[in-house]
Amino acid sequence: MANSSIKTLAILNAKAPYANLAGKDALDIALIFGSFEQTVSLFFQGDGVWQLIQGQNGSIISIKDYLKTFAAFEFYDIEDVYVCQASLAMRNLPAKFHIEEVQVLNQQEFAHKLTSHKTILRF
Amino acid sequence: MNKLAVVITTPPFSNLSVTALDYIETALKAEVELVGVFFYQDGVMHANTNVQIASDEFQAISHWQRLHQAYKLPLHLCITAAEKRGISDEHAQNIHSIFTVSGLGELVELSSMADRMVQF
Repeated sequence: MANSSIKTLAILNAKAPYANLAGKDALDIALIFGSFEQTVSLFFQGDGVWQLIQGQNGSIISIKDYLKTFAAFEFYDIEDVYVCQASLAMRNLPAKFHIEEVQVLNQQEFAHKLTSHKTILRF
Repeated sequence: MNKLAVVITTPPFSNLSVTALDYIETALKAEVELVGVFFYQDGVMHANTNVQIASDEFQAISHWQRLHQAYKLPLHLCITAAEKRGISDEHAQNIHSIFTVSGLGELVELSSMADRMVQF
């Protein structure tokens, strides 16, 4: 460690699941940081909010359902999961998610929380 | 106390490569300690020896080679992302020799060493 300050990583998800690898690539980073006991927070914005919506089944379109792995977040000590309220509202989506512990934030809170992190990686 | 890590997720034919290389070279010239560059997602294509960019277009690889030689800049390749894109370390001639075959654990390492991590 270069210094003793806490290094926090935010991963910003802005793409819908299944159409491309972005969500899975972001998840892999979250899990590896979690398994190395590095603090990591997950943010979902824009079409990224679809990754949290319950009742999805990737197998219908022959895609491995990486969203199921979200249920393992607590084993990786990933506790901070934030979703943008405006992005949900714009898509007329209810705040019903396939994992617990998701915090719905308005745009200002979302931006404030995001920028409180030392590093942001965007997928 | 001024260490930088860079993550490249865009391919060599993206203009973001130009921005990334400008940023990195400026940092190196300013004597910022660059602990390493990590290539992930489509960024791994920078390491692919089979990529051919038209000669009148930006040649990202020649700049990576120049910076690697001048500054011993560590260039880490996520092998899982690379193999998905047809770049395997079982065929070493497919990977430019300036790249080190790594995994996501290296990204954690770079992140913990660096004071700042920037993605292009």
